Amino acid sequence: MLALLSDEQQMLKEVAAQIAGSAGPSNPSDLNTVDRAAAWRSLAQAGLLALRTRDDDGRPVGSGVEVAVVAEALGAGLVPVPYLGSAVLATELLALAGAHDEAEALSEGDARTTVLLDRHLSALAVLPGEQVYAWDADGAADALALTAGPDGHQVVRVSLDTGFVPATGADLTRTLLRSDGPIDEARLTPVGRPLSAEALLRWEALALTVISADIVGVMRAAVARAVAYTKERVQYGVLIGSFQAVQHLCAEAYVQAEASASATNYAAWAVDELDVAEALMAARTAKTQAALVAREVTETVMQVFGGIGQTYEHIAHVHTRRALTDRQVLGDEGVQLPRIADVRLTGE
Amino acid sequence: MDYRDTPEEAEFRATLREWLSATIPAGWDKIEDELEAVRLRKDWHRTLYRAGYVGMSWPVEYGGRGLSPVYDAILNEESGNLGAPPLPSVGYIGRAIFMYASEEQKRRFLPPLLSGEASWCQGFSEPEAGSDLASLRTAARLDGDHYVVNGQKMWTSGGQYADWCLLLARTDPDVPKHKGISAFLVSMTEPGVTVRPIVIASGEAETAEVFWDDVRIPVEQRLGAPGEGWRIAMTTVAYERGPADIGFIANYRRTLRKVEGLAAERGLLEKEEVRKALARAYVRGEVLRLNCMEQLSMRVSGRAPGPEGSIAKLLWADAEQSLQHLAMDILGADEMTGVAAGWLSSYFTSRPVSVYGGSAQIQKNIIARMLDMPR
Ligand SMILES: Cc1cc2nc3c(=O)[nH]c(=O)nc-3n(C[C@H](O)[C@H](O)[C@H](O)COP(=O)(O)OP(=O)(O)OC[C@H]3O[C@@H](n4cnc5c(N)ncnc54)[C@H](O)[C@@H]3O)c2cc1C
Repeated sequence: MLALLSDEQQMLKEVAAQIAGSAGPSNPSDLNTVDRAAAWRSLAQAGLLALRTRDDDGRPVGSGVEVAVVAEALGAGLVPVPYLGSAVLATELLALAGAHDEAEALSEGDARTTVLLDRHLSALAVLPGEQVYAWDADGAADALALTAGPDGHQVVRVSLDTGFVPATGADLTRTLLRSDGPIDEARLTPVGRPLSAEALLRWEALALTVISADIVGVMRAAVARAVAYTKERVQYGVLIGSFQAVQHLCAEAYVQAEASASATNYAAWAVDELDVAEALMAARTAKTQAALVAREVTETVMQVFGGIGQTYEHIAHVHTRRALTDRQVLGDEGVQLPRIADVRLTGE
Repeated sequence: MDYRDTPEEAEFRATLREWLSATIPAGWDKIEDELEAVRLRKDWHRTLYRAGYVGMSWPVEYGGRGLSPVYDAILNEESGNLGAPPLPSVGYIGRAIFMYASEEQKRRFLPPLLSGEASWCQGFSEPEAGSDLASLRTAARLDGDHYVVNGQKMWTSGGQYADWCLLLARTDPDVPKHKGISAFLVSMTEPGVTVRPIVIASGEAETAEVFWDDVRIPVEQRLGAPGEGWRIAMTTVAYERGPADIGFIANYRRTLRKVEGLAAERGLLEKEEVRKALARAYVRGEVLRLNCMEQLSMRVSGRAPGPEGSIAKLLWADAEQSLQHLAMDILGADEMTGVAAGWLSSYFTSRPVSVYGGSAQIQKNIIARMLDMPR
C-alpha cells in the first residue's frame, strides 16, 4: 500500500500548479483581466486536456489520480477555465460512448464542450425535460446530456447558441447558462453508442471525485491564504497568528481540508482501479466530506481576515462562492448520504 | 419575576399592533435599488417617530417619552412579528451622546437624531486599528477654538448617507494609548471629509472608508472631556452589542418567518429534518430574545450594559448566521444559480455579524476576562 503520489504524479502537480498560478486571480477584479485563453492553451500543450481520452488499448491516457491532481491545482488557483466541464466531464462521457474522435477534438483545446445539469445541479440532465443549466460553460459551443432509450442512456449534444441565457451564479470563476425553457427533441444530436448502466456510474464516480478535488484545492488554498495573513497582520502589537483563538480557527479549518483531501485521493485512485460500486462509494464518501466542510472552512477563512475578508474586493469570498457552488454540483451531502446509507444498510 | 405584560404594556402592544398593521408599507421588502431602500428606511424612521415609537425610553426633554426600555423590546417583537421594515438604530450612538454630552449638546443633537432628521455613523475603526481599536492614529490637533482632524477611518457604516459622525481621534500622542483619545460630533458635510463606499461580499455598499483631511471641528463639538474617548467608545459598543438597541430581534423574527415560508413553498414542511431545523431556529431566536430581556431588565433596574453584552453578541451572530445556513440548505442550488440571488446576498450580509462591534474572538476574550481566567 502507498497512499501517496508517485514522483511522476508529483511532477504533474507542479506543472498544474504553475499553470494555475499564472491564471489564478489574486482578487476578484483580476477575473476581468486574467488570460483565460493562454491558460487553456498551456493546459492543452501540457497534454492535460487529453487525460481522459483513450489510448490505443482503450485505456484512459491519465488516471483518476492525475485528473484529480490537476483539478485540485486549478481549484486552488481559482482558475476561471472549464477544465472540469470540458476536459473531464464532457471528455469522459464522449470516451465512454466510444466517440473517440470527438473526445480527441476537445483535448486539442480549440473546441470546448461542457455538460448540462438538472435544475438542482444535482445530476447530468436527462432530456427532453425541464429547465437545465450548462455548468462550467466558458467558451463552450455545446453541451452534453442524456436521453433515456431501450438500450440504456444515449449521450446527446445540444448547441448553446440558442435557448440559453447567462445566469448570475454565485461562482465568479465559472460560466453558468440557464436554458430559457424545456429543451425539445429537435435540438438533440446523438453522439456515440448508448452507455451501459455501469459506464454511467463510472462517469459519476469520476465526476464526483474531480469536483471534490476542486473543493479540496479551494479549501487548501483559502486556508493557506488565511494562515499567511496571520503572519502579517498586527493587532495589539503582535501578529494575530500568535492568538490561540486564531490558531485554533486555522487549525480546525486545516484539519477539515486535509480530511477531505484524504477521502478524495482514495476516490481518485478508485476511479480506474476498483469495481464500479466500490469506486462510486469512495467518490460519494469524498463528496460528502468535502461538501460537509466546504462552507465552514471558507467561512472560517473570511473570519480570520476580519473586516477585509468581508469585502467584495477581497479574494476570500471568491473561494466561498466556488466551494458553495461545487457543493451542489452532482449533489451535496444531502444527496450522497442517503445513497451511502442504501448501500450500507440495504445492500442496494 | 413576571414575563407577562403589565396592563399598560399590554395596551401599548395592542395599539402598536393595530398601528403597524395599518401602516407598514406594502411590498417594502421587494425594493432592490439601494438608494430607494435607504430612503424607505429613513421614511420609516420618521413615520415611527411621528407616531411616538422612536426613543420611547428617552427623557421627554430630548424628544423621548420617558418610558421603560421594555417598550422598545415590545416594539422590536411586534415589528418582527408583523414584518415591518428595519427599526432605526438610534440607540447605541444616541446613548453615548446622552451619557457624555453637555446639556447644550444634548438639546442640539438628540432631537434630530431621534426624529430621523439627522442620521449618524460611527467613525472608530481604522485600517490598522480594528480589534485593537485603541491603537487608532487619526489625529485631532487643537488650534485655537477648533480641532483639526487628519487621518483615515475604515468601516464607517452608512458613512455615505450619514449627516453626522461620532468620531474618535487621538488628541494626545504622549500618554498611554487608551488615554489619549477623544470623541467628536462632526458633520459629514465639513470640507475635507471624503467618503468612499466599501462593497461587501454580498455586492452591497454596506460600509465606507472616510478620509479626514484638515477637517476643522469647533471645540464645543467635542463629546466628553479630552481623553475620555475610550470610555465613550466602550459605552457605544456595549450598547451596540445589545441586540435590542439595534432592532436585531425584529429582523430575526421577520427572516425566520420568510424561511418558514420558503420551506412551505417548496413542500418541505413534511420533512422531519426541515421541521426540526426550523424549530431549532425558533429556539435560537427565543434564547436570544430572553437573554436580551434579562439585560433590558437590568437596565430598567438602573444597571448599565456590561461585558454580558458579549453573550448577546455571540448568540446573535450564531442565530443570524445559522438562519442563513438553514435558508441555504432549503434553497439548495437555487441560491447558487441566481434563482434566489437575494438570499445569497443575505447570506454574505450575515457573515460580518461575527466581525463588527468586536469580532467573535474578541467577545470570547472579554468573557474569559469576565470569568477572571488567568491571563
Ligand atoms: C460590514 C462591517 C461594518 C462595520 N461597521 C463599522 C462601523 O460602523 N464603525 C466602526 O468603527 N467600525 C465598523 N466595523 C469595523 C469592525 O468593528 C472591525 O472590522 C472589527 O473590529 C475587526 O477589526 P479588523 O477588521 O481590523 O480585523 P482584525 O482586528 O485584524 O482581526 C483579524 C482576525 O484576528 C482576530 N483577532 C484580532 N485580535 C485578536 C485577539 N486579541 N484575540 C483573538 N483573536 C483576535 C479577529 O477575531 C479576526 O478573526 C465594521 C466592519 C464590517 C466588516
